[in-house]
Amino acid sequence: MRVWVRVVIVLGLCLTLGGLFVHAAVTEEQRSPYPDAADLSSGYDSYVGQEVMVFGTVTETTGSGMTISAESGGTAITLRVTETEAAVEPGGVVQVYGTLEPNQTIAGERVEVVNSSRRAEFYKYGASAIGALGFLLLFFRYWRINRDTWTLEARDG
Amino acid sequence: MADLLTHLLVPYVLLTVASWRVDWLDQRWVVVGMGGAAIPDLIKVRIVVDESTVETLLGIPFAYGPLSTFGGILLLAGIITVAFERRHWGRVFGLVTFGGLTSLLLDGMRVYADGRASAWLYPFTNWRPPTPSLYVSSDPTVLVVAVLAAGTVTLLDRRIRARN
Repeated sequence: MRVWVRVVIVLGLCLTLGGLFVHAAVTEEQRSPYPDAADLSSGYDSYVGQEVMVFGTVTETTGSGMTISAESGGTAITLRVTETEAAVEPGGVVQVYGTLEPNQTIAGERVEVVNSSRRAEFYKYGASAIGALGFLLLFFRYWRINRDTWTLEARDG
Repeated sequence: MADLLTHLLVPYVLLTVASWRVDWLDQRWVVVGMGGAAIPDLIKVRIVVDESTVETLLGIPFAYGPLSTFGGILLLAGIITVAFERRHWGRVFGLVTFGGLTSLLLDGMRVYADGRASAWLYPFTNWRPPTPSLYVSSDPTVLVVAVLAAGTVTLLDRRIRARN
């Protein structure tokens, strides 16, 4: 198949994917019933009493709760989470599900620790980097780029 | 989501086992299926270029979310497929899509505080499937299980090939 035909197909698929990126952003509320950090920053009082689920980085832990910083779209908000205990250090990441109360507070119903500390996050990225490198080595062991046709072809035909 | 290494090892295990019954499914095709498993991880591009930066540049709403959905998998599987020779398109598209779906299913089983996974079937539905909440993304147990399973399958695969 001619290269220009493949370029046209790829451009068509990339444009469709781009359209999906925009559509997903416009229709985000249909898939996430909860306000994000930007929503809470701009209109906190209108969400008081509602169920919320936020992802946040733990900034402080106390005996019966924690303080988290949630961020979305370049906007951050600090929230106090009460009525909960979780094995997490400052710098760790948590999901919090609960009821929004006045004064930037969430009465936590369920808190799940995503990364218990920064070390846990580094572990995840380290494992992913090893995976990416290993995959590339493995892939090009079996496949190569044919510079005449600009296609990937099997090394053993 | 689970780490990329775990994502890659799951289709490796499944496709290698399948290759014991399917003649054409040799290691080079298993690797193609593993490549599909990496598609949902492309969402990490947001670490390099934040969505709000793209929105500011383009002046329209923008979200990377579809990269970790069925719709994104199908479109990127199509883009990857076109990079191969025409005679392989059907096989490549099927394997890359399969690999991507294994990652979506694995991620759909992790913990969500409200008990529901992300809407990974988007754009076909906005429904958030219930999750069994089996693990959190930074839990090393998931990778240990995947590595052990991959190691076992590799040994069995070598034994079977040596016998044949």
